[in-house]
Amino acid sequence: MTDNAETSYDVLIVGGGPAGQAAALELAAVGARCAVIDEQARPGGQILRQPPVSFAAQNWVDENSYRPLRQQLRVFENQAAIAWLGRRSVIGLQPGPQGHSLTTSGADGLQELSAAHVLIAAGCYDMPYPAPGWTLPGAMGAGAMQTLLKAQGIVTGEPIVFAGTHPLMLLIAAQISRAGGKVAEVAFDRSLATIGKSMIRHCATALRNGSLLGEAGKAMMDLRRAGVPVRFGRPLQEITGADRVTGAVFGEADHPETTPCGSIGLCYGFLPQSDLPRQAGLSVRWSSPSGGWATCHDQWMQSSVEGVWVAGETTGVAGAPIARDEGRIAGLGIAAALGLITNRDATRRAAPFRQSRKAAMRFAAMLDDIAAPKQALDRVAASNTTICRCEKVSASAVRETLGSTTDVNAVKRITRCGMGLCQGRNCEHMLIRMSAAAEGRGLETMKGFTGRFPARPVSIADLLEKPLP
Amino acid sequence: MKKIARRSVEHWTNSDVFLSDIDFLVIGGGLVGAASAWHLASAGTKVWLCEQASPGHGASGQNAGSLHFQIERRFLEREDGVGREGEQTAQLSRLAVQDWRDLERQIGRNLGVHMEGGLMVAHSAQEVRLLETKAAREQAMGLAVETIDRAQVQALAPYLSPDILAANFMADEGHADARIIAPAFADAAQSAGARLLDATRVASLQKRGALFEARLEKGEEIQTVTAAKVLICAGIWSPQIAAMAGLHLPLFPAPLTMNATARTAAFLPYLIQHVGRRLSIKQTAAGNLLIGGGWPSRLHRTGSGFDFSRAPALVPQSLTGNLQTAVETMPVIGEHELLRSWTGITAVTQDQLPVAGEFPSLPGLFCAAGGSAFTLGPTFARLVADQMLERRRDEADALLSVASPARFESLNGFMGR
Ligand SMILES: Cc1cc2nc3c(=O)[nH]c(=O)nc-3n(C[C@H](O)[C@H](O)[C@H](O)COP(=O)(O)OP(=O)(O)OC[C@H]3O[C@@H](n4cnc5c(N)ncnc54)[C@H](O)[C@@H]3O)c2cc1C
Ligand SMILES: Cc1cc2nc3c(=O)[nH]c(=O)nc-3n(C[C@H](O)[C@H](O)[C@H](O)COP(=O)(O)OP(=O)(O)OC[C@H]3O[C@@H](n4cnc5c(N)ncnc54)[C@H](O)[C@@H]3O)c2cc1C
Repeated sequence: MTDNAETSYDVLIVGGGPAGQAAALELAAVGARCAVIDEQARPGGQILRQPPVSFAAQNWVDENSYRPLRQQLRVFENQAAIAWLGRRSVIGLQPGPQGHSLTTSGADGLQELSAAHVLIAAGCYDMPYPAPGWTLPGAMGAGAMQTLLKAQGIVTGEPIVFAGTHPLMLLIAAQISRAGGKVAEVAFDRSLATIGKSMIRHCATALRNGSLLGEAGKAMMDLRRAGVPVRFGRPLQEITGADRVTGAVFGEADHPETTPCGSIGLCYGFLPQSDLPRQAGLSVRWSSPSGGWATCHDQWMQSSVEGVWVAGETTGVAGAPIARDEGRIAGLGIAAALGLITNRDATRRAAPFRQSRKAAMRFAAMLDDIAAPKQALDRVAASNTTICRCEKVSASAVRETLGSTTDVNAVKRITRCGMGLCQGRNCEHMLIRMSAAAEGRGLETMKGFTGRFPARPVSIADLLEKPLP
Repeated sequence: MKKIARRSVEHWTNSDVFLSDIDFLVIGGGLVGAASAWHLASAGTKVWLCEQASPGHGASGQNAGSLHFQIERRFLEREDGVGREGEQTAQLSRLAVQDWRDLERQIGRNLGVHMEGGLMVAHSAQEVRLLETKAAREQAMGLAVETIDRAQVQALAPYLSPDILAANFMADEGHADARIIAPAFADAAQSAGARLLDATRVASLQKRGALFEARLEKGEEIQTVTAAKVLICAGIWSPQIAAMAGLHLPLFPAPLTMNATARTAAFLPYLIQHVGRRLSIKQTAAGNLLIGGGWPSRLHRTGSGFDFSRAPALVPQSLTGNLQTAVETMPVIGEHELLRSWTGITAVTQDQLPVAGEFPSLPGLFCAAGGSAFTLGPTFARLVADQMLERRRDEADALLSVASPARFESLNGFMGR
């Protein structure tokens, strides 16, 4: 990959994770001019987030199952035909019949880029879980904790508690423990029996994906060996502390148990990044059971708007191997649309990726089932917790407004829930669930917040035509 | 549908039309519809307020919330802009000032009304002359507007650019909170006895004998209701409703752009506008700066017309043009972050004047739409309600004469029924 200052390409790819890299490699191989834009300085995405070049990181993401991803990353970094536009946020996507334009924002201001084809491979983010006390310093997504470790070698306040429904927290806790961090406890919301039932339902899949499950098993063994308790059926009631996190309260309301801690990693699943797709008016669907907006696509990963393609967790949270397969399929689809390969060729070359994607999808469905956050979210929806942290709107204020309207955008207008700096990333999923429940409607029939420019808050001085005096 | 017991409405009519289910059907739950329903219900009549989504779904929940009573820039652009029409609009503005001053008390709800003054600024000598002519006209029309010079502008609002040569100041101007206003009026209307039908769309409207019959659709549920009088206040959708009744209502959609910054500590008590450029700036109670002024956005299209179901697309030149104008007027804006740009659609007529009153060719059918119906909305609602209730009717007719749908009779004369 090379640094590059062109403004017009055949293909612009948003996101340099497994999906974006895979697509770029397919496209570069057939001679397409493509650029990959990412907020991170270096490629890797979430799973292979890299520390700055100047850091000498030891044992950086050394799990076995990451080997193919690390290999892809090396090839990507050595592919000179791909332009790498790091440290830039894509804040706008305007589809047009004559090509699409992207607005990016970085240290040197704004830039307009255009291309006949745009691929959004923007990944996902930690689902915010608004347990009472979640806004205290020291409470964060488990993925964010891992990001601090991977990118900066930082361990958050110790001891650390993990709470949630998603098994990824076992891996993260083990990584942190191996790095020397003290973990107080890993607490699963659901009982082992419920999780077991999910596994039995997906028994064949579980067996076929023995190695990945093995990874989780190994993490659990590592944690046991380090003396870290992994407990099940431990619903998180509250995060306590005066001006920072000092404890996590578990159990039923009548006999609460407190685990003292310096920080807590919340792991209830992940939500697809959907700001750009929604801003550009692509069709999206609610993803069940994990939540959030997944962008709809056809069999070549093309969205409802011609020339705009999606791959990886933008299409639903399903793990890195699927993200990579989708990236390859999208790359081949775009190559065919550009006339660089024949449709027949694309079909032939995509076949193995479709096959492995299909197999991995079953595993993703099992994980989804195991990690389903509904019960845990219902509990906070019925509480008095703050659900919109930017505008300080409580669940009870939302419930009260839901008495007069269940239109999500109307509730937003009336309560300001979702009007703050995070642009609704934290609270929209809760509001949608609460609103659907109040109206007795299925989540799949709900409408979300209207997507708007910019996808990230941006300095007005940067936006201006003329430099400021 | 349950038949509702008919009730007496003698005070507004003496005819024998009394077989309707309800007295009034108000179509559209924007500011105008919700406020009209509140007035009508407060008079003791049976009112239904029908809204296809939820109150504030249309322009009333998307606008800038400016309470601007000075003659608008768009009128100054027209040669006769400060003529007879300007005079009548100024009269409505005077009433609107009084209405807004007392609105929160009257409906017993917070509307975020701040009336601490507004400045319309000028950058060039030519614009200063425009300000002076305008202020003279306004004073003659009884609007308390004064021209202040650069030093006075700086004393009043030191955060404005030193390049600003003069401003018109009007102490009554300000803003109110567009987020909450339509829901607040809808709530007040319900407390006064009106029935709100939300997520309910009027799907047909026709006159049958002396009554109006409307078909209302809520998802799969369909009901028919008859009303003695109907008020169309469906914003940009009003022409569709008028067409259901076989009438022309030449209102056009105008897609606009708004920008909001992240919150910042309170520093701006005034409404800021520009006499020569499209601009409005204000700070909300929450602290966000709202920047607008009528910059265009782009309507999506369907095969046969414009698509109102999608938010108009942002036009990049409008975004930067609007923010550039804002920074040139108030440099400190450049230090803030843009949090969100949104687009909304308002309704305009070819002559830029609002539409409010009864259709001469279909008595009993009223309309209130178009124009700056945030600032003037509560006043339109009050006067049209008076007309419908036959209460101080002559006075209301006179005040609304500039807006009367009678000016479309040249078109509606061709419409057989
Ligand atoms: C914090 C976090 C930690 C995770 N850790 C693990 C893990 O340890 N193991 C595991 O199996 N899975 C993990 N996952 C799941 C993991 O994200 C996926 O399995 C995989 O990385 C998805 O690949 P992707 O290419 O779809 O997206 P990603 O890898 O997420 O790549 C998307 C990239 O797009 C960039 N981006 C997004 N929006 C914009 C924008 N508007 N402008 C510019 N750039 C943008 C991001 O910076 C990111 O680099 C994690 C997820 C998160 C959110
Ligand atoms: C971006 C922007 C900024 C503006 N700034 C200002 C300003 O600063 N000051 C000012 O004075 N004015 C401003 N305006 C204009 C002002 O917003 C409008 O004039 C005013 O809100 C109109 O209110 P309304 O009640 O007539 O219409 P709307 O608020 O549009 O209400 C119409 C309602 O009718 C409903 N409806 C439509 N069809 C049907 C049907 N078939 N059945 C049932 N219901 C239906 C709609 O859902 C909608 O809620 C602005 C407008 C925009 C778009």
